[in-house]
Amino acid sequence: MAREMVLSGCAAAAQAAKMAQVEVICSYPIRPYSAIMMELAKMVANGELDAEFVHGEGEHAQLSVVLGAAAAGARALTGSSGVGVTYAFETYSPIAGGRIPLQMMIADRALDPPGDFGSEHTDAMSCRDQGWLMGWAETPQEIFDNCLINYRVGEDHRVLLPQFVCQDGYFVSHIPGKVVLPEQSQVDEFLPPYDLPHPLDPKRPVSHGPQIRPDQGTVMDMQRAQAMLDAPAVIKEAIDDYNRIFGRDISPFLEEYMTEDAEMAFFIMGAHTMTARHAVRHLRGQGVKIGLVKLRFVRPWPTQEIAEALSKFKAVGVVETSTSYGGAMQGGNLLHEVRASLYELAQRPLTTSFMAGLGGEMVPLKEFYYMADILSKAVKAGKTKKHVYWVGFEAED
Amino acid sequence: MTVAVKTQNLPPIKLIRNVPKEEYYVPGHRTCAGCGPALQYKLVAKAAGPNTIFVGPTGCMYVANASYLCTPYTVPWMHAQITNGGAIASGIEAAYKVLLRKGKRTGELPNIIVMAGDGGTVDIGLQAMSAMMYRAHDALFICYDNEAYTNTGIQTSPTTPYGANTTFTPPGSAIPEGKTLFPKDPPQLVIGGHPAVKYVATASVAYPVDLINKVRKALNVQGPTFLHIHCPCPKGWKFDEAKTIEIARLAIETGMWNMYEWEEGVYRYQFRPKKYKPVREYMKLQGRFAHLTEAHIAKQQAFVDAKLKLHGIPVEVPAPAPRTQQ
Repeated sequence: MAREMVLSGCAAAAQAAKMAQVEVICSYPIRPYSAIMMELAKMVANGELDAEFVHGEGEHAQLSVVLGAAAAGARALTGSSGVGVTYAFETYSPIAGGRIPLQMMIADRALDPPGDFGSEHTDAMSCRDQGWLMGWAETPQEIFDNCLINYRVGEDHRVLLPQFVCQDGYFVSHIPGKVVLPEQSQVDEFLPPYDLPHPLDPKRPVSHGPQIRPDQGTVMDMQRAQAMLDAPAVIKEAIDDYNRIFGRDISPFLEEYMTEDAEMAFFIMGAHTMTARHAVRHLRGQGVKIGLVKLRFVRPWPTQEIAEALSKFKAVGVVETSTSYGGAMQGGNLLHEVRASLYELAQRPLTTSFMAGLGGEMVPLKEFYYMADILSKAVKAGKTKKHVYWVGFEAED
Repeated sequence: MTVAVKTQNLPPIKLIRNVPKEEYYVPGHRTCAGCGPALQYKLVAKAAGPNTIFVGPTGCMYVANASYLCTPYTVPWMHAQITNGGAIASGIEAAYKVLLRKGKRTGELPNIIVMAGDGGTVDIGLQAMSAMMYRAHDALFICYDNEAYTNTGIQTSPTTPYGANTTFTPPGSAIPEGKTLFPKDPPQLVIGGHPAVKYVATASVAYPVDLINKVRKALNVQGPTFLHIHCPCPKGWKFDEAKTIEIARLAIETGMWNMYEWEEGVYRYQFRPKKYKPVREYMKLQGRFAHLTEAHIAKQQAFVDAKLKLHGIPVEVPAPAPRTQQ
């Protein structure tokens, strides 16, 4: 029987990894993700999980250890937060380019300076273009789901890509929520054993990662790009199976809330979606025609789905919890891609972005009301005044 | 939890004619004529045999070897970044342990060998190498030492000798000797601080039977082992490519290179000359030292003398007094 438990995001991640029967785990301490490894270390120590638990000497080593393990044929897991995520940056392209489908669980954290324990998406978002699947979870339940779904999609031979499974530090990683733990047999039905096409095995010798000539580079880049293009169909298939086997109703790329007849919407991902949901409900009570669209995958970016979902609104406010200094939109990362997704529509909504939740700041209800007010004014005026609003730090529009 | 999975006992060989004929490092690479590292690779691969996985951090033995569709390895090989040879090997070993335990692979734990250059061992790769040694992974880390970053155009590394002319240590009027620092000592770094390590040895391409036997001994040990192999580089050291072996032998005869095994705290020395030749004889054959004055050579001689004393080897060549003030 499936069991309902109350778990933090980190504990839920560890439970998912255990049910995925990960075989090699590599740890290095940094808050807040380290709670995942603390859970897994206990499971290995008390014999609940038969895995090799390797203490990496840093994040770069963590990723390297799991790369070696996954290349040799074992399901591998690592994770990190903040500057740990960026310290390992060298390894991300070799792993994705080598098409090694290991998983990295990120409980995000602001980058230095100054030292800040708080949640922010910038750490993982800075790594988004290396060829890894990537998405944020809103709740511990969703992080549990995403671990299993990402292993399944990443390990599929039509994809073979590593996965960043992200959750907001503290807001998800350390706040307990309801998680339904399925039966092991359900997980086994959903997730086949790890099966790399060409593992390192003296019985079948193979070379991983030889040097190429410049004219061979484009071909390999195209293959990595194609894997990302092929991933959406595999994601849909996996989530259909997940919903069937686990009795769930997850939508693959976008989740909409109160968008019917909405004139405007928040476009958002991760933990703050929960507050945004409450804000939308309260605003609806006051007659404000607002809804919410939650993004589940940053990579592959669901361009078509976003165009379809957002085309029905007059104005969209993109809630950014990451920074992109000097970019076209002068603020976060998401608005660039939202606008690009809308470009070919005949009828485009107005768009602007809201810098909120940086450095681990809460995004309280009143800030969502402020954002909604700016969107309302834009709808009335038929235009937006700015690309970006630093919420709470600029005078009223 | 961890089970012992390696029971192999690769036998030592006595004579060069007993060296196995099978090659696991075959033609198909693009190394220079007289390449010391390529020669040791061939010998190491022969010694290890077919149940082997090589990890190749970036360096000459990657760049000049592993060309797509014509790599010279007939056993599994995986590129590592120059940073992480020890970590990749750790992961492979961890994977094999769990896969063998779960019955997903059969047979013996493969020989897992990191083939790293000096930069990939004691410079940018030091952290990963040290961690592999500390964590007691059953793998062999080899440092093929050609004493510089050579595939990038001969830049100084931590094992480049004092006084060498490299493209990052060119001699000039302000810095006449070129490289001013003395080199790191890789095997001593390993021996000094890694309690899990049971066997460390130095070897040289000049003595192939000794090299093969040290590789086999290292692979028979359960746990991490380390070999430091001297590999002259005609291009980087600027000598006639026909003289690779002669240079390697002279290094041992002058004390520039010491041949020893360290096994659970006990040293055993090999090829120790009765009387050491002056280091000048080794240095004069190499263009990288051509700019040095007698004072510089004396400094190198004093360094070698001190190092030999450290090993308890009596020094029979007195350091010549410098003739000129530096």
